[in-house]
Amino acid sequence: MRDRHEGANMGKENVVLRVENLEKRFGGLVATDDASFEVERGTITGLIGPNGAGKSTIFNLISGFYEPDGGRVEVNGIDVTGRKPYEVADAGLIRTFQTPRKLEGMTVREAMLVGPREQPGESFVKLFTDPEGVASAESANLAEAQRILEEFEIDHLATQPATDISGGQMKLVELARAMLADPEILLLDEPVAGVNPTLRNDLAEQIRRLNEQGTTFCIIEHDMEFVMKLADPVVVLNQGNVLMEGPPEAVQSDERVIDAYLGGDA
Amino acid sequence: MPLLEYLANGLIFSSIIVLGSIGLSLVYSIADFANFAHGDTMTIGAYTALLTFGAVGGLGGAVLGLPYGFFVALLAGIAVAALVAVVTERIVYKPMDVGSIGMLITSIGIAFIYRAIIQLRFGADFTRYDVQTLRPIEWLVQYDIRITEHDVAIVLSAAILVTGLHLLLQYTDLGRKMRAMADNPELARVSGIRTERVKLWTWVIGAGLAGSGGVFLGLFNQLRPRMGFSLLLLIFAAVILGGIGSVYGAMLGGFLIGMIHELMPILTDYGIPIGTEYAEAVVFVIMVVVLLVRPNGIMGEAT
Amino acid sequence: MSWLTDPAGEFADLTRAEQGVTLFVVAFAIYLLFGLLRGTLDPTYFMFLLGLASMYALLSLGLNSQWGFTGLINFSVAAFFGIGAYGTALMTASSSPIAGGFNPIVGLVVALVVAAVIAVAIGIPTLRLRADYLAIASLGLAEVIRRIVLNEQGLTNGSAGVRGIPSFFEGWPVLATFPQSMPETTIDPVPGGSVTVAEPVFGIGFTVGQEIVLRTPFWRALLNVSLVFVFLGVSYGVLRRVHRSPWGRVLRTIRADEDLARALGKDTYSFKMQSFVLGSLVMALAGVFYAHLNLYVSPGDLDPITTFYVWVAVILGGSGSNRGALFGGFVVVAIREGTRFLNQISLSLDLGATEVVFSFEGLGGPMRLLLIGLIIVVLMRFRPEGLLPPQRELIWPGTVDEVPEGPDVGVREARGGSDE
Repeated sequence: MRDRHEGANMGKENVVLRVENLEKRFGGLVATDDASFEVERGTITGLIGPNGAGKSTIFNLISGFYEPDGGRVEVNGIDVTGRKPYEVADAGLIRTFQTPRKLEGMTVREAMLVGPREQPGESFVKLFTDPEGVASAESANLAEAQRILEEFEIDHLATQPATDISGGQMKLVELARAMLADPEILLLDEPVAGVNPTLRNDLAEQIRRLNEQGTTFCIIEHDMEFVMKLADPVVVLNQGNVLMEGPPEAVQSDERVIDAYLGGDA
Repeated sequence: MPLLEYLANGLIFSSIIVLGSIGLSLVYSIADFANFAHGDTMTIGAYTALLTFGAVGGLGGAVLGLPYGFFVALLAGIAVAALVAVVTERIVYKPMDVGSIGMLITSIGIAFIYRAIIQLRFGADFTRYDVQTLRPIEWLVQYDIRITEHDVAIVLSAAILVTGLHLLLQYTDLGRKMRAMADNPELARVSGIRTERVKLWTWVIGAGLAGSGGVFLGLFNQLRPRMGFSLLLLIFAAVILGGIGSVYGAMLGGFLIGMIHELMPILTDYGIPIGTEYAEAVVFVIMVVVLLVRPNGIMGEAT
Repeated sequence: MSWLTDPAGEFADLTRAEQGVTLFVVAFAIYLLFGLLRGTLDPTYFMFLLGLASMYALLSLGLNSQWGFTGLINFSVAAFFGIGAYGTALMTASSSPIAGGFNPIVGLVVALVVAAVIAVAIGIPTLRLRADYLAIASLGLAEVIRRIVLNEQGLTNGSAGVRGIPSFFEGWPVLATFPQSMPETTIDPVPGGSVTVAEPVFGIGFTVGQEIVLRTPFWRALLNVSLVFVFLGVSYGVLRRVHRSPWGRVLRTIRADEDLARALGKDTYSFKMQSFVLGSLVMALAGVFYAHLNLYVSPGDLDPITTFYVWVAVILGGSGSNRGALFGGFVVVAIREGTRFLNQISLSLDLGATEVVFSFEGLGGPMRLLLIGLIIVVLMRFRPEGLLPPQRELIWPGTVDEVPEGPDVGVREARGGSDE
């Protein structure tokens, strides 16, 4: 099988995220094996692969939640290999999670306000030495949060408890909040898993809109229809390794990809 | 050369810790929470034995300085500890939906309730079983080992119980399922094991062994309502050392913790100024270090 | 301040739980006032209770900022309480084996510095651990601290404890001699005698209006209560400010989903450390007050049971709610002191020939333990969010309109509705 892996297209121009020879083992199990790919600025790059292909592991390795056993991760030209998640975020990479956990005891806008990075009010000292600065930053963030909620057409949810909204709405809020962190690249882990078709279209539209406004996306998704409509290029993972990369049409008709999906569970 | 005596004491104390740690480890993994009431389950075993022994008396003969009646009391202690744990699981833990941290906090409440009830009936003071205090076994004294036949009985009984558990785990269907579930509860659930039944037996076996540990702890020291809670952290240390969810790890962890605890005098013998009053403190520090460097225990994988 | 103009309307706006708590507090206050008037509640003892309750409220505030906001399961509350108490005691007491005789202000500062240092030292290893491991490790390390206090006689006097601790205001102008210099004051609520409301038949009737005499111990207690009120006020003010802020918001996010906070670029380890140290300082402050109230500290003050009292207070009040923590602190003292009275009660029933005597002697301890245990289990089973769950959004005050009150909108409504 391995010789049939042609890998991803490397050597792109203007790369936001570069993953090189990434490796991760859990005990004896190889979860990620020499994976390399690049995400070009301004694209929506899809990351697909059969169950157990190592998609989530790669996300966790890139975003600093797992420590790689080998290889290299670069965000915006900064080497973030083995860095802590907050350091990776500082380099401009923000990620979401497959199953967003409900923020108990918070309203939607409160949950949104966790998004902006480097808020002066997150410094314990500044709460006392610079309350005006904290207040003005807070007002600005609040206005920005309100604006983004309006763009997402969910501003009516602002003062709802975050535990009371639906799973699909929560996914929208997650995406909106991630935008408040002002990312260069946004990693979305199964953004439409368990989301109803209407909201699914909403999400696709929002992602496309944000992409047009300049945000780069890298998306893991099981829903093929969703990925193929949205992403270009698509990177296919199989057994912890990059099988191929290409535009959606090429991927869909590629025999190796079909084999991988059919044989993936065998 | 008191080393032999330390080792002998270590073996006895280890036996008790092992009996406690197996159940704590199994429940930690299969029911998915740190059960702070486990120590007080041991206390229940001890006081049940006290009551039962008082009621049935010696029943004629004796083995290893222990009347037959004491072994009846031991069985009663095991049975009642298991029963109380199962009833608690059914009426308190099972209907709850508060996550493993909420369960942990709840189990502290349960621990206090157990202890309070025992204290209401027996008072807060020390008591003893009404068995004759023995002199050390004579032929061992020449080797500087002072242990009694009761101590031998503790080690032998613990060995029998642990062997029984080993056979159960290796050669029965229930045992295999239990190991699979302790090892990976999620996987066991999807592979179609009837987890409810396995869970129930886990409580029975875990609490039963804890009950026996409590009975022996009462024989080794004395009985006191706080005895189990005081031992709880040592048992946690054993479980963490052995790796949560591993039965054999718990046995090894219990053995090591018991030994370390009883071998403390060696430090002062060798001029290291840490007295036996710090035996438990040393164990707790070891526990924290293990949590930091090998959170899966010495038998688990390093991460 | 519409409570003054329209109390009924304000009351109706509260959630049911809030109404219940309000009624309970009012009823309890009336009961205590009544006791004072009847002369069955000694005003000095009342002041002592108030001080003790405020001390528990402080401890609860400290734990609330660790567990309630950040989700840190700290089982070493008693240790930090003890560090505060021993810190000031060893600096100020005449029997201190290391450095007695300093001004209590020095004691306060030293106690807080030591508490902060130990909090950092404990936090460095444990705050990296999973939540449940933190619980076990912190309980273990608290026990290590207790053993050290108990056994290092050269440092702490060991089991004998530290005696001869001065009052907090020793050496201060005016306040140092305030209790002695206050005249004996007599309060006579009903001038010229007392009123017997009912004939004391069957012990049901009562008399109010006896003279209440306030002597030096009362004035001393009053001074102590003022001190703890200052501690409590400052802590409450600081905590409220930092919690209703972006800082507090990050803490609450960590509690709900630490991975999310990390993914959004928050250095969660640093936030957890700040929260842990802050909470530990408040607990140590409670210990400082205790040392100067009791004038004697011993290793028994580090008993882990104190930790669990404080846990009950926080869970009862509502994790993450500072006013809940205050309420919880007071309830715990009511339980503690209430069960103490059990020891003194004995009922004798004369059933003709035989007299049956029920004595509760010695049952106070286990009854208290039973009550604490039952409260934990019942709360976790039926109301894990506590009686007064937090209701304010953690948004810097002034940048957003207060949540509108009313039946149709608002967090208040939606959150409070969960008790239906």
